Amino acid sequence: MPAAEAPAPTAPRCNCRAVEFLESSIGKKIMVALAGLFLCVFLLTHLAGNLILFLGGPAFDRYAQMLESNPLLPLAEGGLVVLFLIHIALAVRARLANMAARPVAYQVYKGKDARTPGSSTMALTGTLVLVFIIIHVATIKFQVGGAKGPDLFGHVTGWFHNPLYAGFYVVALIGVGLHLSHGVQSAFQTLGLNHPRYTPMIKALGAAFAILIALGFLSIPVYFGFIVHAPATPPNGAAMPSGPIGGAQ
Amino acid sequence: MTTNNEAKGMNLTLKIWRQKDARDPGGLVEYKVENVSPEMSFLEMLDVLNEQLVAKGQDAVAFDHDCREGICGMCSLMIDGQAHGPDKAATTCQLHMRRYKDGDTITVEPFRAKAFPVVRDLVVDRSAFDRIQQAGGFVSVNTGNARDANGVLIPHETAEKAMDAAACIGCGACVAACPNASAMLFVGAKVSQYALLPQGQPEREKRALAMRAAMDEEGFGHCTNEYECEAACPKEIKVSNIARLNREYLRATLVSE
Repeated sequence: MPAAEAPAPTAPRCNCRAVEFLESSIGKKIMVALAGLFLCVFLLTHLAGNLILFLGGPAFDRYAQMLESNPLLPLAEGGLVVLFLIHIALAVRARLANMAARPVAYQVYKGKDARTPGSSTMALTGTLVLVFIIIHVATIKFQVGGAKGPDLFGHVTGWFHNPLYAGFYVVALIGVGLHLSHGVQSAFQTLGLNHPRYTPMIKALGAAFAILIALGFLSIPVYFGFIVHAPATPPNGAAMPSGPIGGAQ
Repeated sequence: MTTNNEAKGMNLTLKIWRQKDARDPGGLVEYKVENVSPEMSFLEMLDVLNEQLVAKGQDAVAFDHDCREGICGMCSLMIDGQAHGPDKAATTCQLHMRRYKDGDTITVEPFRAKAFPVVRDLVVDRSAFDRIQQAGGFVSVNTGNARDANGVLIPHETAEKAMDAAACIGCGACVAACPNASAMLFVGAKVSQYALLPQGQPEREKRALAMRAAMDEEGFGHCTNEYECEAACPKEIKVSNIARLNREYLRATLVSE
């Protein structure tokens, strides 16, 4: 609990500067921002790879095999897990401290319209994205609830035949967009990059990035789930209807 | 109260947070104030309410105030969920009743943060800010003859930026308005006003480290860049000062010995 952690900075400054930095409010935020920006780079590469789905089964499976056969893949995956863990763990700790910082809530809180839909829902969208990632990795990477086979294209598009699964993707990806709409430009501010000339540009680029990522990823479940049902055998057809969402936890 | 005044006076319903002391849970109490002139400031309206309460033998509502001209940083109040009320770049004492109309209901609460405990009613203890200042919000200057005025050259733009940061009156509206009760705008302004000027350089790293530590120790929240602080600040302190604080702290962590 944050109350128990509070005394940590009180102690005489420890010799380890890194620990002091990570325990500090600003240090935590800087780490969350850095990890978040690296995760944005991953999102771009992931989107580029996923859009190969639109080139059809053989092209996508070739891409998947190329990725799988790369000996550096486990290293990249491990790095990705570490980035996620840093981002989530420190953001959760900051959130708990923030809740403790105002123990008695206002009866009326209105503010002065500085908050955005993205900024005021970061914890909510972050949680949604985390749940999404767990389900996504379980069903697509580890193929829980589906037959493991070489035909990854059929496996992926098969999942989207389930409207519940595709619908959840749509909701979660809108959440990703909202999260990024605040997160990207906010990360630059946290890293100390605020400049009268560049900040408006960073804000515009952050919004554009959020829209690009959200729409790019949304195109996949929308197309394969609601527009075209690619002629592919659904993975483990019997488990399809309610399996993916309920069964993944 | 002449009939003339009554003709143009407003009748208002106030929901005011009443709390006997720090341990009392407190709650909103409804009051009617009659005959409020649009010329009055918000605090004068509260004075009228208190006169009415005292005349009835009840306890007056405790609230902080001092200069009543927007420069001391003493008045506070969360008015209908907005720190210092609905106006931009104004303190509560600069808010006038012409902003309201007859029959309005106004909710008045104290600034809320763990680091700003309620003393009584609408009065909160903001000495956490003083302790942050004492940790490093100063420059150490040896006594002696005054230096030549132009001995230390400071670009005009830099001086302006430092002055903008120094305009902070330490009222705590940034903390009150922040969804996380963070004090980053206040600390950002105080660190910036020295970090920008040559006089602040000798203690630059020590100041950033010490003021950050003091801020966290008081139990303020983490900044999530929602910028409600900037919108609420009566002195229009910019969030670029928060970015500078982030930079100063990062730099101090890396370079100081």
